[in-house]
Amino acid sequence: MTVSVTGLTKRFSDHTALDGVGLDVRPAEFLALLGPSGSGKTTLLRIIGGLDFPDAGTVTFAGENVAGRPARDRRVGFVFQNYALFRHMRVADNIAFGLTVKPRRERPDARTIAARVDELLALVQLPGLGRRYPAQLSGGQRQRVALARALAVDPSVLLLDEPFGALDAKVRNDLRRWLRGVHETMGLTSIFVTHDQDEALDLADRVAVMNAGRIEQVDTPDAVYNRPATAFVADFIGNACRFDARLAGGGVDVAGVRLSNSGPACADGPGVAFVRPHEFAILPAGAPGLAATVRRVAHTGSRAGVECVLADGRIVDVSAPLDVAAGMGDAVTLVPTTVRAYPA
Amino acid sequence: MTGSASTSEPRWLRFVLITIALAFLAVNLALPLAAVFAGALAKGLAVYRSAIVEPDARAAMRLTLTVAAIAVPLNIVFGLTASWAVTKFDFPGKSLLISLIDLPLSVSPVVSGLIYVLLFGLQGWAGPWLRDHDIRIVFAVPGIVLATTFVTFPFVARELIPLMLEQGRSDEEAARSLGASGWQTFVRVTLPNIRWGLLYGVLLCNARAMGEFGAVSVVSGHIRGLTNTLPLHIEILYNEYNYVAAFAVASLLAGLALVTLVAKSLLEWRFGDSIAGGGH
Repeated sequence: MTVSVTGLTKRFSDHTALDGVGLDVRPAEFLALLGPSGSGKTTLLRIIGGLDFPDAGTVTFAGENVAGRPARDRRVGFVFQNYALFRHMRVADNIAFGLTVKPRRERPDARTIAARVDELLALVQLPGLGRRYPAQLSGGQRQRVALARALAVDPSVLLLDEPFGALDAKVRNDLRRWLRGVHETMGLTSIFVTHDQDEALDLADRVAVMNAGRIEQVDTPDAVYNRPATAFVADFIGNACRFDARLAGGGVDVAGVRLSNSGPACADGPGVAFVRPHEFAILPAGAPGLAATVRRVAHTGSRAGVECVLADGRIVDVSAPLDVAAGMGDAVTLVPTTVRAYPA
Repeated sequence: MTGSASTSEPRWLRFVLITIALAFLAVNLALPLAAVFAGALAKGLAVYRSAIVEPDARAAMRLTLTVAAIAVPLNIVFGLTASWAVTKFDFPGKSLLISLIDLPLSVSPVVSGLIYVLLFGLQGWAGPWLRDHDIRIVFAVPGIVLATTFVTFPFVARELIPLMLEQGRSDEEAARSLGASGWQTFVRVTLPNIRWGLLYGVLLCNARAMGEFGAVSVVSGHIRGLTNTLPLHIEILYNEYNYVAAFAVASLLAGLALVTLVAKSLLEWRFGDSIAGGGH
C-alpha cells in the first residue's frame, strides 16, 4: 500500500517538529527515517500511525486521506521503542490483544485466535513461549513479541520506532537480518525510525534523511551515501571531513587544489566541501594540498587507518591501502581525490 | 556482613538513633493506642459490649459506613478520571488542576466544612432555595457525605498520578494502535497496570473517610442517632464523662485503622514494585 504525506507541519509549544514534510512510500517498500535526535523523525512516524495529529498537511493510505482518523481505525502495526508490551499479560495474550478487542461481529473465535498466536510465535521464532510474561523475556525476545503483536491484526503498514535502539550490538545485527526477512515475507509497507546510519543504509530500500523538521533527501542507501543532495546529508552520512571551499566554474577549490565537484551542480561562490576518509591521497610533503603530520597508523582491518593532524590542528582520519608508505611523525600532503561541495 | 562501610555508623550512635525513634513511636502511637483499648475494657467485656451495641453507637457506625460507602466510590471515580486526564493528555490549565487536587490537604478541615455551611446553610447562597424545596443538606446526611468527599478526594488521585506518569503513555498508545477503544484500553491495559496503586489509594481514602472529624463536625449538627458519625459520637460520649463508652467506640475506629494499616503493609510487602511505580 502506498503511504503519502504532504505538507505535514507539527508544532509543539516550544519548537517546530515538522516543517512542511512530504514523502511517498511505495508499496512493500522498506523505508528508513534517518536523522539526528530532534529532527522530527519520530513525530513523522507517530503522525503516520495516528498517534499524533498534524497542524497542517495530509496523510494518505492508498490514496485515501486518513489524517483525521485515529490510530485504531488505520490498520497500522506500531512497534514502540520500549516495546510497550502489556506487562500483566502473558506473551500469548499480548499477541492476541488486537484480535480480542475487535467488535464482537468481527472477532475470531478463541480457537482461531489461539491458532493465529501460535502461527505468529513461530514466525518470530519464539514457539512455546506463549505462557511467559514479558518480564521473563530478553530484550530481543520482547522486541519480537512486540512485532508479533503488531502483525496479529494484519496491518497494511508496519511502523517501527527505533526498533533496535535498546538492544546490544550482537542481538541487533541478528534481528536486523531477521526483520528484513520478515518484511520480505509479509510484503508490507514498512517504515522505521533510526538515528543509526549503518542500520538505515544496511536495511532499507530507501532512506529519508531528516534534519530540523524537514526531509533533506529520500533515496537509495547508495545514492544517499555517494550522491548526497545537501551539505547536511554529506556531513551526516559517512564520516566526512568538512572544509571551506570556493565554487567556481563547475569546479571547487579546496586548500589550493582545484578539483571537479562530485556534488550536485551549484552556483559559483563560497561553499563547503566534504571528503570521506578513503577519498584522500597521501603524497609526500611539499606537493600542493593540505599539509599534515601523521600521528598514528593502525593496520587493523582491510585498510590502514592513518590519523593526520592538519596545520590548523584539526584531526583527519584517512583510510589508505594497507601498504601505505607513511609512518608516525611523517610530514605529508593530503590531496582530496573526490570532493562534494555545496553552497555555504 | 550487614551494611556497607559507608552506611555503618558507630554502634552507640545507631543505638541512640534507634532508641529515640522507638521511644517516640511508643509515646505517640503505641501508648495512646494501648490506652484506648485499656480504657475501653476497664469495666469488663460486658460494659464494652453494651457501649457498642447501644442504638446511638450503632446508628453512628451505620452512618460512618454509609458515608464511606458513598464518598470512597465517588473519589475512586474522581481520582481515576483526574489522574487519567492529567497523565494521558496535555491541556491548558493542567498544572492548576494538579494544584487544586491538593487543596483539601492544605486547607483546614474546619474550613472545608464551613464551605458547605456557607453554600447550603440557611444563610448561604443556596440556603433559601433549598429551604423552599424542602431539601436538607447541612446538618443532614448529604452535608456529611459532601464534606467527607471533599476532604478525602486527593487520596486516590495523589496515589495514581505519580504512578501513571512514570508508566507513560506508550501502553495506551499500543492498545489504541491495535484497535482498542478508549474503554477497552482503560479496562484491559490501564487499570491492570495501576490496580495495586489504586487499591492503596482507596485504603487511605477509606481510612480518612471513616475517621474524618473536623469537616464533618461543622456540617453535622450532632443529632444523635441521625447525623453522628463514629468520631462525633466518641466526642459526645467523652464530653458526657462516659469514658468507657467513648473508649469502646474509639477502639472500633482504631480497629478499623489497624485493619487498614495491616492491609496496606501487606500490599506494600507483596506488590511493593508496582505500587512504587514501574513494575517492568
